[in-house]
Amino acid sequence: MVKSIRWALAAAAAAALLVAGCGGGDDSSSKSSSSGTPSSGKPVTINWWHIANTDPLKTVWKQAADEYMKAHPNVTIKITVLENEAFKAKLTTNMQAGNPPDIFQSWGGGTLKEQADASLVQDVTKPTSSWIGTLNPAAVGLYKVGDKQYGVPYNLGMVGVWYNKALFKKAGIDAPPATWTDFLADVKKLKDAGITPIAVGEKDKWPGMFWWANLSLRVAGKDAMAKAGEDGSFDSPGFVKAGEELKKLIDMQPFQKSFLAAPWPGATGEAGTMAKQGAAMDLMGQWAPNEFNANTKDKKGLGDDLGWFPFPQVEGGAGQEGEQFGGGDGFAIGSKAPPEAVDFVKFLVSPEIANKAGATGTILPVAKGTESSVTDPNMKQVLDTRAQSTFVQLYLDQAYAPAVGQAVNDAVQTLFAGKASPQDVASKIADAAKSGG
Amino acid sequence: MTLRRVPLYAFAWLVALAILVPLIYAVLGGFRDTGQIAQDPIGLPSPWVWSNYGDILKSGAFWHQLWNSVLIAALSTGLTVPFAAAAAYVFARFKFPGREWFYTLFTLGLLFPIAVAILPIFIMIRTLGLLGTPFGVALPEAAFGLPLTIVILRPFFASFPNELQDAAAIDGCGAFGFFWRILLPLSRPVLATVSMLALVTSWNMFLLPLIVLTDSGGWTLPLGVTNYSTQYGADTARILAFTTLSMIPALIFYAFAERHLVRGLTTGAVKG
Amino acid sequence: MPPSQGDSATLVRAGRTTRPAVRRRRGRGRLATIALFLAPALVLYLLLVVFPLFQVIRYSGYKWNGLGPLDDFVGLDNFKRALSDDVFRGALKHNAIIIGLSLVVQLPFALGVAMLVNSRLKGRALLRLLFFAPFVLSEVITAVVFNLMLQPDGVLGGLNVDWLGDTSLVLYTCFVVISWKYFGFHMIIYLAGLQQIPRELEEAALIDGARHWEVFRYITLPLLGPTIRISVFLSIIGALQVFDLVWVMTGGGPVNASNTMAIYVIDWGFKRFQFGYASAVAVIMLVISLVFALLYQRFVLRRDIEGALTTMGT
Repeated sequence: MVKSIRWALAAAAAAALLVAGCGGGDDSSSKSSSSGTPSSGKPVTINWWHIANTDPLKTVWKQAADEYMKAHPNVTIKITVLENEAFKAKLTTNMQAGNPPDIFQSWGGGTLKEQADASLVQDVTKPTSSWIGTLNPAAVGLYKVGDKQYGVPYNLGMVGVWYNKALFKKAGIDAPPATWTDFLADVKKLKDAGITPIAVGEKDKWPGMFWWANLSLRVAGKDAMAKAGEDGSFDSPGFVKAGEELKKLIDMQPFQKSFLAAPWPGATGEAGTMAKQGAAMDLMGQWAPNEFNANTKDKKGLGDDLGWFPFPQVEGGAGQEGEQFGGGDGFAIGSKAPPEAVDFVKFLVSPEIANKAGATGTILPVAKGTESSVTDPNMKQVLDTRAQSTFVQLYLDQAYAPAVGQAVNDAVQTLFAGKASPQDVASKIADAAKSGG
Repeated sequence: MTLRRVPLYAFAWLVALAILVPLIYAVLGGFRDTGQIAQDPIGLPSPWVWSNYGDILKSGAFWHQLWNSVLIAALSTGLTVPFAAAAAYVFARFKFPGREWFYTLFTLGLLFPIAVAILPIFIMIRTLGLLGTPFGVALPEAAFGLPLTIVILRPFFASFPNELQDAAAIDGCGAFGFFWRILLPLSRPVLATVSMLALVTSWNMFLLPLIVLTDSGGWTLPLGVTNYSTQYGADTARILAFTTLSMIPALIFYAFAERHLVRGLTTGAVKG
Repeated sequence: MPPSQGDSATLVRAGRTTRPAVRRRRGRGRLATIALFLAPALVLYLLLVVFPLFQVIRYSGYKWNGLGPLDDFVGLDNFKRALSDDVFRGALKHNAIIIGLSLVVQLPFALGVAMLVNSRLKGRALLRLLFFAPFVLSEVITAVVFNLMLQPDGVLGGLNVDWLGDTSLVLYTCFVVISWKYFGFHMIIYLAGLQQIPRELEEAALIDGARHWEVFRYITLPLLGPTIRISVFLSIIGALQVFDLVWVMTGGGPVNASNTMAIYVIDWGFKRFQFGYASAVAVIMLVISLVFALLYQRFVLRRDIEGALTTMGT
């Protein structure tokens, strides 16, 4: 009697297996060519996932792919363009199922390390050794795990303070502050003049993390940060002091209204506030002006009123001149990618394409000699600072393993909300790091 | 009597206003640009920007996505409702060993959101060779739509008197005949209800299509809206315009189905 | 006499007093038929809901970042960790608050609106349409629009309240938006229940001198019993799984002030890459929901059950 049910289920299961057998396990690109010998002539498909989902960069990438395909008729490049968050979600699931794309957006650091440990990205040290030296070494380093290269950078930016010159003048500030003490004094001047000193989009958590990270770099120093990345010593005195300096700033209440609910982008965000002259300063990366422009009626952003200065030095801190905070973008190579993929990436970061990409104003190219493609004066200033920097600390939520990076973001947000002390923040992060994330 | 009514009318229209204001905000927002919205959050469009709606409607992408959404919603509903109706029929009108266990099994799907199981679902879809296809999206949507549909349909199907089934049997109508020729036709209102619910759920799904679909040509509308955000920015006005346009088809379905919808939940099912 | 559409009320009442259909034919033929009817739904469901669920339960016993093989078995550690984590406890508390508010605020409101729309108010068809409209919208649209409206200079900006940034307010703000979206669904359910109550009963009571609120308390409310019980069930299940809307509006923040269990799960699974842990929390969530559902069916909905028939909801 129950047999008939069992029979039905068995039939269904058999049907499912049959479909699975016919459907085939490989849906995405599984190339039969083994890495090592580029098989010229044999048709090859490359799956490329990137996040430049708006023009002009989207078109630059597409044209680059078209050009490459023309020059290599046996290669087909399938481009999947995704928005940033959607990309992360889709990549995660694909990775977890063992299906990495061949070329994909990567920010390097801890996430790349986890992927490398799980053998989901390819060691391309050998295929790139002949030309990787033509790229900015700080950028290249971000895509290394140990001594092995797993990806190639195409953008390296810097985080600094974008400021509104007109508002500074109004408050009686002649020149950007060079030291932290000057900075805090300027914040007070702005407040006294009735101007909101700083815009921060703390809903997203990472804008606040930028402040803590920069202060940690200046106070605790880059070696302490590297050490903490290894052994979780985020509760060492340098970090606690950095937190205390940040608390000093937060206690001055220099942020815009409802900053805990404001995201970075868009009309309601940090960018929107700066765009409508609602605040004088914004600690942000090189993508900031574009977003300011988008949020002003005439699309010109702050125009000539926009200025930039690097994060001030903190007196008595372990940080040195030339150490900066930033990060970039690059392409990681998936573990199943054919050799042609590496070749294509080489083409993408070559000066020819890099100049076009740089000219879009959205990235700062990393190929040596392409700096001239950047024409905007503020971007040039960022580029110069980058050129002079001796060390670049990668965004903390990328540099460390994802769970630790998120713990940093969370802990700093509690500091901004006035719900934790600098000591708490340091301990919380240390705990997360030590428990393996 | 009429004077007593005034506060009631006021209350009703106050609630209506609370619903209309956000909707109007979204629609009007599409006629401004992001700069306007940033500078002046509650102003009227000035100038009126036609390009947001215009560009979206002119772009092939929007119509492709619309088509994909319609296709997948139709497939999903077309699977959910018949399968669930068949299952609800036997739950409602037959006794068999383990019936309540099976029923409880089906209600498990109500108790957790699909996002939690997305990885195993992805692997299963991949195993079935359906990655990148509309069925790859429609099948999981249908699977997760079964619980609520069965739960709604069962009491309704159970409410038909046995005499009806007996009479049909005398006329030579077996289980299938009764189902097809009597039960279903008489259940139109509640079937319209569950179809509407399944359709709306599928229409608004985001994570599942994102994970399953590989080619942007196969994208649905909720995925399309992500085109207006980037790693570092968000075009607020375009997002509003796009989401307004995407909700129009859903609202049109709803307006047509509303008559059936209210009746569907009304007749029998809920009273129990 | 075959039932017609308008006779549905009679139909229902008739159905209530009849035993469920008993078998006439015994033997394999009947079971084969049942199996055939059940099979499509069952197969689809087993493949795409039950099997994935088992996988999630399996993951919950491991420490796993989602990449690479499952090799770090930790047994119940993930569960212990979740239950002792302040953030998770906070999220659980928030879910409980949302349940409480839903029952105390959202449902009575929906009932009130349903009664309004059920009465002889002019324009009630249009109102009915309007009130259900938010349910049809996607959560993303709702969240985007409300985020815009609730910013400091937004529509309610004049009141100078930090709706989304103030940690003591943000959960309640989210609750209001959730109510905005879902009250129409409950309204429809109550409307259905109300339409089953014969007007004669209410009118008779009024003629006998009862006041309106007495009519409500002693006639309407009791007769609405089954309906209310179903509405409560769906509301609690929904409140336990709150995710989409809050995720887009606040991400669970600021500082976890609007965190819910489902947000916690997705955050740990997708953002922090601690998939085993996230799965364990998902299992906890499932167990809570299941226990509630089973208890509710056994003790509350039993009153509305006859024989082996169950009403809407488990």
